[in-house]
Amino acid sequence: MKGYRLGELEELILLTVGILDQDAYGVAILEEIKNQTGRKVNISAIHTVLNRLEEKGFLKSYMGGATEERGGRRKRLFTISATGRAAIQEVKTLRNKLYDQIPPLALDFSYGQ
Amino acid sequence: MDSKLRHFPPRWPDRFLEFYCNPNRLEQIQGDAYELFYMNLEERGLAFARFRFFIHVLSFFRWGNIRRSKSTYQTYNQGAMLKNYFKIGWRNLIKQKGTTFISVFGLACAVGCCLVAYLFIAQIWFKGMNQPNKDEIFQLTYTAEGENGLETYGVIAEPVSELIPDKLSQVKSHTRISVDFSILIHNNESYNQRSMFVDPAFMDMFVYRMDYGYPGALMEPDQVILTHELSEKLFGTTHPIGQELSLVVNGEEKRYTVGGVLADLNDMDMFNFDLLVNITTHPNATLDLPLKDAWNSELWTFIQVEDGTDISQMKSGLAEMTSIQNTIDPEKPYKSVQLEAFTDLVRNSDQIERGVVGFLAIAPQILLAVIASFILILAVFNYINISVLMASRRLKEIGVRKVIGSRRSQLVFQFLSENLMVCFLAIFLGCLLAGFIFLPGFNEIASKNLKIDLFRDGYIWIFLGAMLLFITLVSGLYPAIYVSSFKPLNILKGNQKIGSKSVFTSVLLTFQFTLAIISIVAGVAFVQTNYINENRDWGYDSSDKIIVNVPSSEDYLPLKNKLSALASVTEVSGSQDFVGDWIREEQLVFNDEKYEISLLNAESNYPEVLDLKLKGGRMFNPELISDMQESVIVNQTFIDQLGLEFPLDEKIELDSMSYSIVGVVEDFHTIFFQSAIDPIVIRASPDTTFNFLTLKMTAGMAESSMESIKKIWHETIPRGLFTGKLQTEVFDREFTDVQGVRNILLFSAILAVILASLGLFGLVSLNMNSHIKDYCIRKVFGANLGDLSLKLLKRYLIIWAIASVLGGAFSVIIISNFLDSFFAFHSGVGVFPIGFGLVILLLVIAATVGSQIWKIVKANPATILKAE
Repeated sequence: MKGYRLGELEELILLTVGILDQDAYGVAILEEIKNQTGRKVNISAIHTVLNRLEEKGFLKSYMGGATEERGGRRKRLFTISATGRAAIQEVKTLRNKLYDQIPPLALDFSYGQ
Repeated sequence: MDSKLRHFPPRWPDRFLEFYCNPNRLEQIQGDAYELFYMNLEERGLAFARFRFFIHVLSFFRWGNIRRSKSTYQTYNQGAMLKNYFKIGWRNLIKQKGTTFISVFGLACAVGCCLVAYLFIAQIWFKGMNQPNKDEIFQLTYTAEGENGLETYGVIAEPVSELIPDKLSQVKSHTRISVDFSILIHNNESYNQRSMFVDPAFMDMFVYRMDYGYPGALMEPDQVILTHELSEKLFGTTHPIGQELSLVVNGEEKRYTVGGVLADLNDMDMFNFDLLVNITTHPNATLDLPLKDAWNSELWTFIQVEDGTDISQMKSGLAEMTSIQNTIDPEKPYKSVQLEAFTDLVRNSDQIERGVVGFLAIAPQILLAVIASFILILAVFNYINISVLMASRRLKEIGVRKVIGSRRSQLVFQFLSENLMVCFLAIFLGCLLAGFIFLPGFNEIASKNLKIDLFRDGYIWIFLGAMLLFITLVSGLYPAIYVSSFKPLNILKGNQKIGSKSVFTSVLLTFQFTLAIISIVAGVAFVQTNYINENRDWGYDSSDKIIVNVPSSEDYLPLKNKLSALASVTEVSGSQDFVGDWIREEQLVFNDEKYEISLLNAESNYPEVLDLKLKGGRMFNPELISDMQESVIVNQTFIDQLGLEFPLDEKIELDSMSYSIVGVVEDFHTIFFQSAIDPIVIRASPDTTFNFLTLKMTAGMAESSMESIKKIWHETIPRGLFTGKLQTEVFDREFTDVQGVRNILLFSAILAVILASLGLFGLVSLNMNSHIKDYCIRKVFGANLGDLSLKLLKRYLIIWAIASVLGGAFSVIIISNFLDSFFAFHSGVGVFPIGFGLVILLLVIAATVGSQIWKIVKANPATILKAE
């Protein structure tokens, strides 16, 4: 399958960028992941993943939204590109397809007792 | 919000982030880091926030975030910026030709002086360092019980070299080296030359460039290799190869032909020699000595090991040598035999007795280093003062640059780069100055042969590079930092005053004046001392006397008879040593106490021939047998030091014989004024042969008879070296030496004054330029010449006064010590040298200020005040 290979963290961050819509940048993504999953991800790891996703063409970015806390520095705001959307879509369908093929018994934990 | 913005992220991690981060990503990363910092600050407090910030900065330190010189993100163009710096710097230098000249000329002189001092010092400490095999060469030394405990000797028994191939593995080649002062005869002229007898392998181990011939010339035992200097002295411009000469060693004459001539060594060689001779032709080599005597003759032995040999492996071989020596010569046992690295020979020279490197001449090194650093300090201070003032014309430029966003470090860098340009120019000119003016002069004075060898001497490049860096930083750092510290607001509003009157400038100027005074005082005091010493009474009449050497005792009587027969010779007297040279010391016993005195053994008429002045008692009477056997004449110092009254009845004891003092002569100088007068005992010796003959000539005949005396001498002693001279010439060498030192000191004093006055001129004229309207307005309102001069002069007079006190005090201390170390008899640092120095400096100040005042006097106030 010629596919969109996404790592676990990549997938997570791609989804979070989608959730945050127009307001996705390093610290916001960090906070969102913390709130949604309880995971503490290092900020530099997020930056690395964001850069990688942008290189792969899943994300687009632009500078904007300077605040006082940032010392007047702008944020790099990310949005999902069409390719990115397709990638999430495909990952999701693949997951669902695989999930659907699991026999019902395998999910019944009382089986075998 | 506002409350938390009182705190800021820690500065150093932030700077570090800015330093490494790729500029394209910096904004985003730094922004996130700041945001997280304030988030943490709110939740967990300042300390935690700071700590996390630091951790974040570290975690951002990833390959992708680090700036790279060839990054595709890189949009900076550092090259263009640098080019811009240099262009602006160059334009500034061109625009201010006068001040540029002062800076560059001063620094160039300083660099020249430093180069000479460096070359002189390097010539002592880096001897032999240009030998390509230096790391593979070792000298065999041995340790034995000496007078003062264990001592290491640089020489070793000659037969040891025969053991080397057997006992030491991995030795490529080895050579014996023995230096002899032999008489060289060429074209019936004899010279005293330093011959170095070596094995032919010497030329393989040590690499010399050859002017003529080839290094293997020593393979032929009857060939010698000359130094460039000796070849020029003997043959001039004629082709030296194949020329014949003969050497007299231990009284034996041997003929040689010249097989090669070395290129000029420039005083950089480890060995000091005039010619190289194959050691197998040394008279001692052909003698068939008994085994023990052969082991008694010692010389230097060098080995060259294979590249990368571990020296510690040779221990057993060296121990075997020790035991062989100790069985042959048990009375003089070696403790051990070691290897001394060729590269350590100079450094360890004080631990090795009879080694290759004798004494290191520390005093001249210090003198030259001090002079060089004086000049360097003067020049650097000039430059600092002037460049601070010059920057005042560029305040606007600095202000604009700062507003546009130049960081301070960039401004500092800009000024330093301009500075680098000046220093580079100065180093270049300094090399030229040193090479063409200073070094030839110094070589003449110090009878050295130093040269700046840019092609073969790697150390000189290191030195020049270090000089460039040092001068650039020392002279440029303060002005650059000071000038870049101004607030742009003040500059552009025009409020910024630049410190022409700053304390710092005054301190530097005071320091310069002090140095100048010390240099002048040193020069003048030395000249004064020289003058006094040249006119000093030697304590006897030195005119119309000739001293002739007698090489061996069998020549004494024939020579004496022949010389006495000369018509112009009125009297002849023999002596063991002669007045005007070193006189041997003896121990004397008087009243059971021992004294060290100089003992002059001579014929009984010697005191009269020399015209010593009798103070009490009488001269020797040749008729009296008692005078010939048990009488002495002493000098005044002898009487004073022993606390005696003449005449006295007690007898003195010399060599367990007792003598009575029959006469006292006035003090006379046997050695140069560097040493005090020692107590001297003149003993009329019954010996019939002496080492020297002193001829008393009829008045005015001494100089003209020199030729005929030399001829008679050579007729009597055909294989000898005539070293006869006039009694008036005995101190000539010392006089030349001290005159050399005098010239160096005078030169440095003049240079110091020139530099100080140039610096002062630069300061005053720049000051005047910026205050010319001030002065013109005063003039318009009727200030007279005196008022104007006083206003300009006042500050410099105060500085001069302070410098006078400091310089006077320092020179009294320093220069007196210096003179003491040089002379036992000197004028001291009196009022004259100090006064002279102060007056000279005052004149310089007056002239400098006067030239500026003259500018105002001549100027039309209207044109100056109108111009805006």
